[in-house]
Amino acid sequence: MKSITLYEYKNSFLNHIDPFCKLLYILAALSIPLILGVSVTKLIFIAISIFLIISNKVFKKVIPLFTFSAIIILTAIIIQGLFYSNNKHIILQLGPLKFYKEGLLFAYHIALNVLNILLSFAVLIFTTKPTDLIDSFVRVGFSPRFGYVLSSVFQIIPQMSETMSTISDAQKSRGMESEGNLFTRIKAFFPLISPVITSSLINTRERAIALEVRGFNSTTKKTFLNQQTRTRKDKIINIILLLLIILSSIWRIITCLK
Amino acid sequence: MNTKKWLSTAVLVLIPACIGINFLGKSFAEALHLPLWLDSIGTCLAACLAGPIVGAICGAANNLIYGLTLSPISLVYALTSAAIGIVVGILANKGQMRHIKGAILTSILAGLVAVIISTPLNVIFWGGMTGNTWGDAVYAWAVAQKLPMFIASFFDEMVVDIPDKIATILIVFGIYKGLPKTLTSLYQSNDKIENLND
Repeated sequence: MKSITLYEYKNSFLNHIDPFCKLLYILAALSIPLILGVSVTKLIFIAISIFLIISNKVFKKVIPLFTFSAIIILTAIIIQGLFYSNNKHIILQLGPLKFYKEGLLFAYHIALNVLNILLSFAVLIFTTKPTDLIDSFVRVGFSPRFGYVLSSVFQIIPQMSETMSTISDAQKSRGMESEGNLFTRIKAFFPLISPVITSSLINTRERAIALEVRGFNSTTKKTFLNQQTRTRKDKIINIILLLLIILSSIWRIITCLK
Repeated sequence: MNTKKWLSTAVLVLIPACIGINFLGKSFAEALHLPLWLDSIGTCLAACLAGPIVGAICGAANNLIYGLTLSPISLVYALTSAAIGIVVGILANKGQMRHIKGAILTSILAGLVAVIISTPLNVIFWGGMTGNTWGDAVYAWAVAQKLPMFIASFFDEMVVDIPDKIATILIVFGIYKGLPKTLTSLYQSNDKIENLND
């Protein structure tokens, strides 16, 4: 069955780090530039993220994310460079197209934002098993019932995709056209989606019964299949990241008071 | 067993199924090259079946899971998804999803709410663009007309979101009407339960 996650086990440094550390890293990467208001910090965090991604051998898998962000950044450069409302100084002229300095600067800030968000999340997403992440949420007090809801999505989606390919084969063999003009393609959507939806809703009833039979609603304390492995390394990283966030807040407050 | 009936096991199981439906709608729309996202069919269906709170949970959980597994961008729009769930759930509770006119009204309202919530997010994170070709073309036109960025972004989001929500709700309406009563009653929390022992 095809998995929907981007996680891959590489026995790397980040694979063995507590998911909370990586969440804290994302928080730091997004909040520190915001607190300090200096765009250089974003560049630094982008560099750190890229370093972490490369050193953990997942760079190849991150490339599709880069192409996605490249599209956003390219449209930002074109649209803001040409039409940004505060445009004054022409910097580049290609035939009838005039690119302005202010718009390009604005596009540069958007690009930094997009890259910073995408890459800091990539550090977490590509190195953490989603069920581990949910496990660690449940350990700190997140409802285990909701934990089940979230982690079962990872089982249900591959199942549903299989049903989806079965159904599209079945409908095609009955003569459904799935290619052609827009109208034909819209018409094809209904016979494809409705059987999957109905069958998955019918499945939920059986799943609910199966869960209740196994004591899903029992109020006793739940135990975990895997033991938590939080090492000293995790604690040190957590403390450093927290200190960085606190120090930058203090620095900002001091500079504001001056 | 009536405590927390609105979050019965059946409802809890409905949420992952609906997140899966969201995913399928999106992948079918991509496979057929439709110019729409159709990625909130499950959220709207959950809202119709089990009310606004479950709709909101479903929408937020949906974006949370995608954000943490496939695309971080969708995390930003968790708020929008939750709001769509709430709006559709409230209108469905009022009986609007039983006839086609009500369904269209629901879809327009859901689309508007989605636009109103997404626009500030777009402005904060991406300078007002959505990444959708049609929407960004409108954005470029509006900015070139010297309209403020906020309004340009509003148009950008509207061009994409409102047709998408109309299509989504119409699909949900078609499916919801065809579901057997034994299935829909499973998730309803406001029904009275008769007790034989009293």
